Amino acid sequence: MTLIINNLKKTFDKHKAVDGISLTINEGEMFGMLGANGAGKTTSFRMILGLLDPTEGDVRWKGERITYKRTKLVGYLPEERGLFPKLTVKDQLVYLTKLKGMNKQSIIKEMRLWLDRFGVPEYENKVIEELSKGNQQKIQFIAAVLHKPELLILDEPFSGLDPVNADMLKNAVKDLQERGTTIVFSSHQMSNVEELCEDLIMLKKGKAVLQGNLRTIKRSYDMKNISIKADYDLAFLEDVKGVLKIEQKKDGADVKVENEKAAETIFSCLASKGFVRKFELEEPSLHDIFIDKAGGAAHE
Amino acid sequence: MNNFWTTFTHTAGRRLKSKTFIITTSIMALFIISLINLNTILEAFSGDGAEDEPAVAVVDQTSEEGQFAEMLKTLAAEGSFEYIHYSGDVEQALSDAENDDFTYVLELTGTLDALQAEFYGEGTDFRTGQEVQQDVQRTKETLATSALDLNEQELALIFNPVSFNEKPLSGTGEVQTAETHMQTYWMVYGLVFVIYLIVVTLGTMIATEVATEKSSRVMELIVSSVNPVTQMLGKIMGIGLAGLVNLSVLVLAAFAGSYLSGEDFFTNIFTEVIDYSLIIYALLFIILGYFVYGGVAAMLGALVSRAEEVNQAIQPLIFLAMIAFFVSLYGLNAPDAIFIRVLSYVPFFTPQLLFLRIGMGTVPVWEIAVISALLIISAVLINIIAARIYKGGVLMYGKFSFKKGIKQALKLSKKES
Repeated sequence: MTLIINNLKKTFDKHKAVDGISLTINEGEMFGMLGANGAGKTTSFRMILGLLDPTEGDVRWKGERITYKRTKLVGYLPEERGLFPKLTVKDQLVYLTKLKGMNKQSIIKEMRLWLDRFGVPEYENKVIEELSKGNQQKIQFIAAVLHKPELLILDEPFSGLDPVNADMLKNAVKDLQERGTTIVFSSHQMSNVEELCEDLIMLKKGKAVLQGNLRTIKRSYDMKNISIKADYDLAFLEDVKGVLKIEQKKDGADVKVENEKAAETIFSCLASKGFVRKFELEEPSLHDIFIDKAGGAAHE
Repeated sequence: MNNFWTTFTHTAGRRLKSKTFIITTSIMALFIISLINLNTILEAFSGDGAEDEPAVAVVDQTSEEGQFAEMLKTLAAEGSFEYIHYSGDVEQALSDAENDDFTYVLELTGTLDALQAEFYGEGTDFRTGQEVQQDVQRTKETLATSALDLNEQELALIFNPVSFNEKPLSGTGEVQTAETHMQTYWMVYGLVFVIYLIVVTLGTMIATEVATEKSSRVMELIVSSVNPVTQMLGKIMGIGLAGLVNLSVLVLAAFAGSYLSGEDFFTNIFTEVIDYSLIIYALLFIILGYFVYGGVAAMLGALVSRAEEVNQAIQPLIFLAMIAFFVSLYGLNAPDAIFIRVLSYVPFFTPQLLFLRIGMGTVPVWEIAVISALLIISAVLINIIAARIYKGGVLMYGKFSFKKGIKQALKLSKKES
């Protein structure tokens, strides 16, 4: 057990930004924190980092609080991207990583490895404002990991990246995990979370609405999707009890149902109606669960 | 401590290496050197250097039969004018002057006891008239004394100056003579202005630096590694160092300028005019004032989200500095006024007003100690409060509002456990 968050609460005036989150993240784990905007992800991150004091509860990394004395153990990529626009990549990384207690030579050595890895060694002496947004994001990612932190917190690491760069960053994150780094990250893109995380927490208005292992969550989730292919109009299914949503297609429909019982009802309805080419019961996607639990669309 | 040095060297280094800093400092240094050498430069541009003295045609119609004009010629040989004894009448002289034969015409009429002088000339400034009048007066006195046939002793009786000394009422008191008063006046004036300039320019620099880091959003990354209070102090000290370098370069430029001009301007100032204790006080108040204003400036910078809002946010601070400056200008003429005395206890006014009181009047040592202690305590307190607000402020984004901002920042930085 490395990162333990215990009944964490943060109240601003009467607004409860984070309302009693508890979780445990194992060493070397990649953990996803999901939630719509304003759900309390960034506030939680800030409390983990010690930037904000919790109103109640506490956060411990290997049994101790994260204070400025232990800041070199932690790497952070904030949601709001930002670097010194007028400084070169090198000066920038040297300054930011020196604050983590690393010396200049090691910083430059490590920086070159990362720049090579991201295929941009020529950026070393370029001024940040001359780089594209995607490349700035790479540099900021490097700033978060250069000092080889034990705990890495990534707030929306892949937003705003093209698929090629997003993949590059994703691979880097996976490598870091393999090397033993504990990673906590938030994302609006559910596919990324499904791809990278084993465990997750989903927040809504500061509270955990869902928490645990991703596979278990999906399997035990009542809501299911049914993919149907049939030659006749399936609009009548809308009136079947337990149907949440129906999306008609040329040769059938995708139906979202409350639980397996509703699926059984639909199956017998169809059997009496006529021939069915395909009837497949699927586990819900994280996207569906997110919309169901976190409420509203996952907007950027 | 390590992070303090990293922030300090980063802030100072960035400033000192920036082109803007190097260029503006060089321009200011050049300006100072040229200002000190203004005379030499002007002479170099106005031709051969030994410029012709303007000629004055003297039309002597006094009862002394031309003696006056001759005497004027010899007496004023060392002066700024070349007097010519003109034999024609005024009209002729005036028309010759129009032909540029000479610049001015001086017509003298009457007798020695009722001498009248008319001075003709284009574009004369008041000093020209005064100088000519002095020359005429001196000539008249010489002629009069020789007409009275006075000996040297009798002359000395009339012309020897009075020896006038000012003494304090008690043996230990001090009196400012007119001369020392003027010297201290200008020195205090200059240093009060320097304090004002330093506080305003460096204060703005601090606030802009903080706001720029906030608006570029790099701040959150920085404060996740370094305590905001350490970072704030590192910044204030770093910019202070850049300011100190700037000031030193300008002082060196002034020395270089005076060395080039060949005048003993500075030796003179250092041996006669400047009171060393005043210089020490000035340095002390510049540093303490910098911390008082710098802490507030950093706090204000942390309250805004964009660099463009800095000017708006820092206005109250600039107003305070301006009020202190203008009150000081008044105080220079009334350093013992009650309200100057009272205001000198207010930390934002202390650097200028206490310095002024020390320079211009007599402040008891205990009062200097009390007010300075107050200033030091306030500087510490202001920085502690500013750091609290700074800590919350750097994580805060949105439209700038002074009152709401401070409230919100305090909430964010609240110590809860």
